[in-house]
Amino acid sequence: MADGNPYREDEVVEEEEEIDESSYKAVKDAVLFAIDVSDSMLAPRPSTDPKKSIQESPTTAALKCAYSFMQQRIISNPHDMMGVLLYGTQASKFYDEDENSRGDLSYPNCYLFADLDIPSAQEVKDLRALVDDEGEARDILVPSEEPVSMANVLFCANQIFTSKAPNFVSRRLFIVTDNDNPHGADKALRSAATVRAKDLYDLGVSIELFPISRPDHEFDNSKFYDDIIYKTSPSDPDAPAYLQSGSKASTAAGDGISLLNTLLSSINSRTVPRRAHFTNMPLELGPNLRISVSGYILFKRQEPARNSYIWLGDEKPEIAKGVTTQIADDTTRTIEKWEIKKAYKFGGEQVAFAPDELKSLRDFGEPVIRIIGFKPLTALPIWANVKHPHFIYPSEEDYVGSTRVFSALHQTLLREKKMALVWFIARKAAGPVLGAMMAGEEKIDENGVQKYPPGMWIVPLPFADDIRQNPETSLNVAPEPLIDQMRMIVQQLQLPKASYEPLKYPNPSLQWHYRILQALALDEDLPEKPEDKTIPKYRQIDKRAGDYVLSWADELDKQYGQVTAAKPAPTSNLVKRGAKDQASAFDDETSKPSKKVKVEESPESVEEEVRSHYKKGTLSKLTVVTLKSFLASQGRSNVGKKADLLERVEEFLESKAF
Amino acid sequence: MAEKEATVYIVDFGRSMGERRNGRSMTDLEWAMQYVWDRITGTVATGRKTALVGVVGLRTDDTVHELGDELEFSNLSVLSGLKQFLMEDIRQLTEQIKPSKTNKGDAISALVLAMQMIIEQCKKLKYKRRIVLVTNGEGAMNPESLDQITKKIKVDNIELIILGPDFDDPEYGVKEEDKHPRKFENEALLRSFAEDCDGAFGTLEQAVAELEMPRVKNTRVQATFKGFLQLGNPEEYDTAVRIPVERYYRTYSAKPPSASQFALRSDLAEGQTESSAAAAGTQEYQADGSSLTTVRNLRTYQITDETAPGGKRDVEREDLAKGYEYGRTAVHISETDANITTLETKAAIELVGFIQSDNYDRYMHLTTTNIIIAQRANDKASLALSSFIHALFELECYAVARMVLKENKAPVMVLLAPSIEPDYECLIEAQLPYAEDVRTYRFPPLDKVIMVSGKVVKEHRNLPNDDLLDAMDKYVKSMELQDTDEDGEPTEALPIDDSFSPVLHRIDAAIRYRATHPKEPVPPPAKILTRFSHPSEDMVEKSKKYLDRLIEASDVKKVPPKVKGRKRARETEKPLSGLDVDALLHQEKRNKISPDNAIPEFKQTLSQAESIDTIKEAVQQMGVIIEDQVKHSLGDVNYDRVTEGLGMMREELISYEEPALYNDFLKRLKDRLLKEELGGDRRELWWLIRRTKLGLIDQQQSDRSEVTEEEAQAFMAPKRSEV
Repeated sequence: MADGNPYREDEVVEEEEEIDESSYKAVKDAVLFAIDVSDSMLAPRPSTDPKKSIQESPTTAALKCAYSFMQQRIISNPHDMMGVLLYGTQASKFYDEDENSRGDLSYPNCYLFADLDIPSAQEVKDLRALVDDEGEARDILVPSEEPVSMANVLFCANQIFTSKAPNFVSRRLFIVTDNDNPHGADKALRSAATVRAKDLYDLGVSIELFPISRPDHEFDNSKFYDDIIYKTSPSDPDAPAYLQSGSKASTAAGDGISLLNTLLSSINSRTVPRRAHFTNMPLELGPNLRISVSGYILFKRQEPARNSYIWLGDEKPEIAKGVTTQIADDTTRTIEKWEIKKAYKFGGEQVAFAPDELKSLRDFGEPVIRIIGFKPLTALPIWANVKHPHFIYPSEEDYVGSTRVFSALHQTLLREKKMALVWFIARKAAGPVLGAMMAGEEKIDENGVQKYPPGMWIVPLPFADDIRQNPETSLNVAPEPLIDQMRMIVQQLQLPKASYEPLKYPNPSLQWHYRILQALALDEDLPEKPEDKTIPKYRQIDKRAGDYVLSWADELDKQYGQVTAAKPAPTSNLVKRGAKDQASAFDDETSKPSKKVKVEESPESVEEEVRSHYKKGTLSKLTVVTLKSFLASQGRSNVGKKADLLERVEEFLESKAF
Repeated sequence: MAEKEATVYIVDFGRSMGERRNGRSMTDLEWAMQYVWDRITGTVATGRKTALVGVVGLRTDDTVHELGDELEFSNLSVLSGLKQFLMEDIRQLTEQIKPSKTNKGDAISALVLAMQMIIEQCKKLKYKRRIVLVTNGEGAMNPESLDQITKKIKVDNIELIILGPDFDDPEYGVKEEDKHPRKFENEALLRSFAEDCDGAFGTLEQAVAELEMPRVKNTRVQATFKGFLQLGNPEEYDTAVRIPVERYYRTYSAKPPSASQFALRSDLAEGQTESSAAAAGTQEYQADGSSLTTVRNLRTYQITDETAPGGKRDVEREDLAKGYEYGRTAVHISETDANITTLETKAAIELVGFIQSDNYDRYMHLTTTNIIIAQRANDKASLALSSFIHALFELECYAVARMVLKENKAPVMVLLAPSIEPDYECLIEAQLPYAEDVRTYRFPPLDKVIMVSGKVVKEHRNLPNDDLLDAMDKYVKSMELQDTDEDGEPTEALPIDDSFSPVLHRIDAAIRYRATHPKEPVPPPAKILTRFSHPSEDMVEKSKKYLDRLIEASDVKKVPPKVKGRKRARETEKPLSGLDVDALLHQEKRNKISPDNAIPEFKQTLSQAESIDTIKEAVQQMGVIIEDQVKHSLGDVNYDRVTEGLGMMREELISYEEPALYNDFLKRLKDRLLKEELGGDRRELWWLIRRTKLGLIDQQQSDRSEVTEEEAQAFMAPKRSEV
């Protein structure tokens, strides 16, 4: 296959990802939603907004959250698991058991709707059907008459985690309920539940509660759930208690829509468990003064999963798993790992090093973040960047008192607008980098939920080796009147709050990719048009800045006229550059079509030329240069032979019915 | 493509080059070769066929060249004609390098010889021509035809570099006392000659010292985008603007050379496996690599097939279709629909809006940066872009844009920042994160503490007091970096131009050293590479008193490593209410660990154990459960549960300081696994245990262990005979 083995073989060790060297556990996350189904949970709550007549019950809101969570995770965490367990239902279902099974049910009134696993398309569909209250949903979402035993629910979850997600580094049980006291005064049931909760804790499962207040009753954690939820999460002991326990914000009396929204934002903020990139790293403020910090990656480009090979021989398509074996080139015998030696190609041969030597070449000492001095923040050039930053936060694990020292440094750097220059080795043999360490403030969104945490950011700086030279070009500094005109335009088009908010811009190609996959997987109609929030708001731009753009363009013509007049023979220069540059140049020689902004006249002329040839059917008479510049001006690919270009131009013009 | 090059090195091999002078531990020849080897291997490392190297020996015992046997050309040898230098040539040259027994041989004649070599090779073609002469200047020189040579060198555009040990260089500060009069004369002669040829003349000390300075590769500038910066939609609105622009890399991570995988040639490996198993550590690594063969990756594909042994079946790649995973569902995409999931886009940089630079958090940069300039040689475009750059600058704004580099490539959001220097204007572009790229991990505030009850506290052991804040403030001020620019003026700039990628240059230097010195250990990294690994000494000195005060105010205490691993304080294992769950557990009376709830019950039994026998009993029960899981595992179904159980046991028994219980169990398990007593071939499980590092607990991990680190390693070591 010409266009690529989907598996890239050059993916060697050195690249980083979160690897947990210290642990035997798989760095994966499993989330089980346990959603309470009861009369009050099923009671629709009308919307206060008269325009939106949708009624939302807490249970359907929770299911909608689970549905959105599921879709999101397929994109962002394709290897992580999730499941949905309904409890308090009339019906019961647990693997091969249901109410028609012989014998006693292990977990009565627990309905395992979606087993804990990497979601499948069918499960996405089923969950949506349940949300939309279709088909069997009516039969499932019926509350039982008997109260359900929470001990049983918790043990049911325990069994699901034990068998389906063994050895996962993170296992979380999300409980959504409006019942703050399921067992009232019944001591036996209470203590059974408490014991089962301790089992979950010891198993390494953390319980996260999403409490919902009833219209007439504020949810009170202290009645029951404070005995169920633990101060620390077993998988993330550094996570502070108040982040663990159910947040107080997710309650909403009355309104169904706002209930859904608060629940959604509360669950969204916990989509992924915190995963440290490194832990207990020494941060050295000076000789003999070290504290410990942990590092996280908070910004990282999310790419679509690579394509895979698929076996179509059986009823259901199946992903074929690739297995790599290494063979010797001379006899094709299989090579074991210990036989492999590393060598560098040099002068037509290999220069070999012993494994120890090879390791020592990358070894510049133990991992450390060492401050070598401070600088004003303004000293960091905007171009000095090579990759995403690391976020660091103190930990008391290695040095008691780390947090207060870190906090003192954080406050000082913020106040003085300074950064620290640091020598940074993220892992043994990771290769040191020089970094700019700056303090970041905590940022809170409208709902009071933390958007960006307080802490320190380390921006790795480029080395001299990483800097490319600027290409030579002639400089034409714009005169003041022209700048004045442009300033007007810029002032008209500020983004909301004059800042960039990443959360407002979902990645359009990533979303489209998965949207199509979802449609294909579920055998649905393909969506027509992608939702793309990154496309500029053209109408607003025209409305707000249009007039200013026109007067800027006039000024540009005027100023350009003066520049050309001042220069001895500017046009000869232009002529020499040939058609290609003429095409896209702001060239004053060509006639000005009146309707467009005047900076844009030359592409216009190429366009007219191409269009007129197209009408006459003589496109092939055009030169490659003209075709290319026409395509380029339309943002189309302009590589390839003339035939390819012609085809693309035709295709483009056909699509534009004019 | 880089320009063709031809360089001839003339190295003085005269007897006097074998002396050690002025207190140096190496001979002049060894010293000179440091420089020559560095240059030659630098060329070899590029791997370019068009970078030619030749070597001429001056004052050699023999006379080896084709310029006839006149006396003035005696004692000169062409050691290597102009060609691409390979390892073989390096080896040959290495053997020839030793001082001769003569001091005869004329450096000027050697130059003529070198010129002749270049002329023959390069003819009138476009080449970068260079001659490097390294001599101690003690040989006799005949300056007769120097004028003609000078003329020829200039006409042919040959770059001439002359270096020598202890050549006087007032600028660099080298002055040799009691210089031999002949050397003095020759130095003067060579100096004026080099100057006449517009060449360079210098002292070897400086040249060798500068070798430490890493050389930064210059890469050819190439546009990564040519298109338009646009505002508005020109297809719909007459008020849209498009400025033709080009985009170039501003930063780009230079990668260290990457190693390839090799194995011992199969004919050699045969005999070697047995002996090398014993001598694996001491095995010699031949630098010539002739005994190695490349390793190739062979990829096979498997699908699940319950009827096949092991539950898996191999399939041919030709029989497979392409597709993607949606969750755990395979989605097939037929050949004709190959691009169905691609978002249709058009190439352009489209302005989305503007933001205040104050509102931008610099740490949001996600990638390397680029510059955007107006289309070159387009004055109007450059005028237009200039007005844009200046407007941003004056308003203290950045632009946010949607950038598509090529048709149907994924759009990215970018930040465009103005950059104005006296002779250069451009936009700096950096990629911004999308919603999906942000991980919302939450952390508590650093300037206050929120208690479980929700109460906000301003004074706490985790918060600095005024004394600590003050000490920090003074320390930070005392550690302010004062850098200076080329003219010694203080500057705010970061020392980016002086920082070199340590790994890149270290590996590069090691390869070149190993190539020329195959038997010697690799020298330590050049000092300049670790220049920024510590604060400068005078700054440490200057800020010492502030640091001392900060240390005192901080009152940081290191946690002894032993304590770290132990059970955390009981307090944290309680639920939020603080309820004593252990008491409830006591009432439950779980006396036997149930396989269904093994991990929690094992932990709980241990935490309540009052005697060692209880722990032993629990370990025994847990062992049976784990072995049962192995025995009943269909293929690898239970393996993850087994490793989880083992890992948990290991951790617990380390913290209860009973490593022997785990070690005994693991030894028995290994034995039974390899003897196939637990449901057949379980080697894959053992491999998994090895990979997840669940081996014996050694003395490093628990001081109660009787297993040494070496024993633990040996226990886990793959038995090669078995593989």
